[in-house]
Amino acid sequence: MTELALVTRFEKHRARVRHAALWVRLAAAAAIAAFALTTPGFLTPLSLNALFTAISFVGCVAVGMTFITLTGNIMSLALGATVSASALMFLATLSFGIIPAFLLTVLFAVIITGLQGFLVGHFRANPILVSIAALSLLLGGAAFVTGGHRIYPAGEGLAMFKGRIAGIPKEALCFFATVLAGQFILSWTRVGRLMSMVGSNFRAATAAGIDAAMIITAAYVIAGACAAVSGVLLAARYGSGDMELGAGYDYTAIAAVLVGGTGISGGSGSTLRTLVGVTVIAIIEVVLLLRGFSEQLQYLITGLIVLAVIMLHAAGEKR
Amino acid sequence: MPVLAIAGVTKRFGPNTVLKNVSLSLEPGEIRAICGENGAGKSTLVKILTGLYAPDEGTVTLGGAAVDIASPQHAQELGIALVAQELSLAPALSVLDNIWLGNREVPLFHRRNSLRVRARAALDQIGLSDLALDTPASALNIGRRQLVEIARMLTRDARILFLDEPTATLSDVEIERIFKALRALKAAGKTVVYITHRLGEVFDVCDTVSVLRNGELVGTRRTAEIDRQQLMELMLGRSAGEMYPSWQSQSGAAALAVKNLQVPPVVRDFSLVAERGTVTCLAGQIGSGAITVLRALAGLSAVATGEVEVLGQPMRLRSVLAAQAANVQFISEDRAGEGVFLRLTAERNLVATKLRQHTKWGVLARPKLRETAAKLANAVGIDRTRLRSPADDLSGGNQQKLAFGRWIGGTEPGVLLMNEPTRGVDVGARAEIYRLIREFCDRGYCVVMASSDLEEVLGMADVVVTMYRGGQVGRYRRGEVDMHRALADITHPAAAA
Repeated sequence: MTELALVTRFEKHRARVRHAALWVRLAAAAAIAAFALTTPGFLTPLSLNALFTAISFVGCVAVGMTFITLTGNIMSLALGATVSASALMFLATLSFGIIPAFLLTVLFAVIITGLQGFLVGHFRANPILVSIAALSLLLGGAAFVTGGHRIYPAGEGLAMFKGRIAGIPKEALCFFATVLAGQFILSWTRVGRLMSMVGSNFRAATAAGIDAAMIITAAYVIAGACAAVSGVLLAARYGSGDMELGAGYDYTAIAAVLVGGTGISGGSGSTLRTLVGVTVIAIIEVVLLLRGFSEQLQYLITGLIVLAVIMLHAAGEKR
Repeated sequence: MPVLAIAGVTKRFGPNTVLKNVSLSLEPGEIRAICGENGAGKSTLVKILTGLYAPDEGTVTLGGAAVDIASPQHAQELGIALVAQELSLAPALSVLDNIWLGNREVPLFHRRNSLRVRARAALDQIGLSDLALDTPASALNIGRRQLVEIARMLTRDARILFLDEPTATLSDVEIERIFKALRALKAAGKTVVYITHRLGEVFDVCDTVSVLRNGELVGTRRTAEIDRQQLMELMLGRSAGEMYPSWQSQSGAAALAVKNLQVPPVVRDFSLVAERGTVTCLAGQIGSGAITVLRALAGLSAVATGEVEVLGQPMRLRSVLAAQAANVQFISEDRAGEGVFLRLTAERNLVATKLRQHTKWGVLARPKLRETAAKLANAVGIDRTRLRSPADDLSGGNQQKLAFGRWIGGTEPGVLLMNEPTRGVDVGARAEIYRLIREFCDRGYCVVMASSDLEEVLGMADVVVTMYRGGQVGRYRRGEVDMHRALADITHPAAAA
């Protein structure tokens, strides 16, 4: 009887926390919306376009990060560097034509992250440490290959990434497509379902006959492909690249994943939520910019908001 | 005069009363056993007396004066100590440091000498005079660690020690050491409260026994005045037996044949033949290897070797996928860690192993999956309205049913392996799980389960295999073995002859 009683009490408590978390979340969303809509200049096509473009690059990384978080591996600190390296790869292989260059870039990024996924999944290596090692290798390797110089496009065709379709920047369209593809994998495919099982409980997944190492590798492979997309978009936008291009994207991406409500402990999550997370963070940044806050203050406030959201989340998950 | 007495203690959690009007008193120099089934209220009682919970009603008197035990720290000051089931030694620290760890007397700058002397005295008192104070805790085996914990409580001048299942993970030699220590404490006039599931120990070391059932104290007896059978009846409130389904035991064709299974360092040279349509129970204490054998057969051991044949075909060990390909299915003893996906919904848990059948070109047929989940929920007796709840919100019994449901509906009956199928499952759900197990048998499954609960073993088995220290002691068909014999087998195989 003891257990039953405790369980009931515990359930109620947890349901309350969940409810509270939901309400705070809705209230926060309303506050941000009100704040944004009352900011002069926010609802202009110009700033909205800038907003969409801005979230596209880091947004793709955040979609990839969602897969890593979802499979129970917290985050990768190497995704930003993978974005940069992908951009360099894309620029350097443009001489083969746009499509071959794109495919080579995706292959390149997928190998980088896939190897990390293999180490994490097969040997249960600590994902953060593996990503730190990968970050170091990527930076060192890139410096060695490029000699520290900027890379310029080796061929033509970057212009096709510029412009709009139906009034929406092409970068944003690529990002939305990535989000939808990610969400499709997570909710509608077997591998997506298996990812949430592995992320929820690695040992139970193994005992149920799931090749958990393979599933984790798959998640990293998807993260690599997302980073490659981001790298290609960045390369096309700036027309040249170095290893600074994607620096810091990993942090923003994990913040977006958490703000969106994907649990840090794995097992649940969605790229649509991540889209919301990316958008919320970007809106806050744009609004602060439009209201004339200094850059330092923008960083501070964004940091505080992200911290608050994460704390809220931790309270909801606490057991 | 009693050293500690409680009167009319009642504790409620929400609508449930978990302790009802419990009164008992403890004398100095007494070893008191507290027995009862899971959920009888034992741990709640201990938590009240060690300051973790406050009672809703009733009084606690310590040495004649009423006290209100506010917190575990307060309990420590009052001379009440709890030796936890989960060991709480810091492995990297020395025995000496561990003994003084968390003690409120220790000043910021240790007066090493007096601390050493007192720690030494405490160790000597419980028969650890050969243990050097500077040995790191990590170098001690589990039994000795438990003893060091007891020494820790002695340095805190504890007058009343609570031991919560101290022997659950110990070997016989180590258990004997603990008993020796307890007798030494008794001789020194301390009071020991001993919580155990092992009825044998009650008679070995305890003077008196208090039995709890459904939160009520059903009685306190001198161990000299009752026997095992009477104690069990006190605990259960009925004769053991109604819980289990009745069936006609018969033998079937061999479905699982294991030869010379080795799982270092636990299992040596284990062989087994289990039949279709029957339940084979491996009975053994923790450490006997019963659980290890089934884990190895499920492909979850990386070091297992031996020959295994399933339904006439050889099966490769050390691979979960190979075991599943051979139609060997496994229900883990560690439900939260390995058995269910606590954070996923009940529905997702039920169809965890059924995804492949419902996938085309990698895409899930979600409506069909939902249908399958509803059918399985029906088959194992889980309310359909709970399918969307996380497994975490379900009771232990319902979680175990999720683990069962996963294996229902295979193409043909295979081998079902279960470790401790009713651990942490309350009495009502237990009977349902036993019924499910029989249903698997009736469908032609070969069921093999490992259990340390002898009552369950005798109630469920067509064939009982008793195990001790990694090997088989005896093999009996239903009716050929009784509680006494089985217990003798799993504890002292030499005496079983």
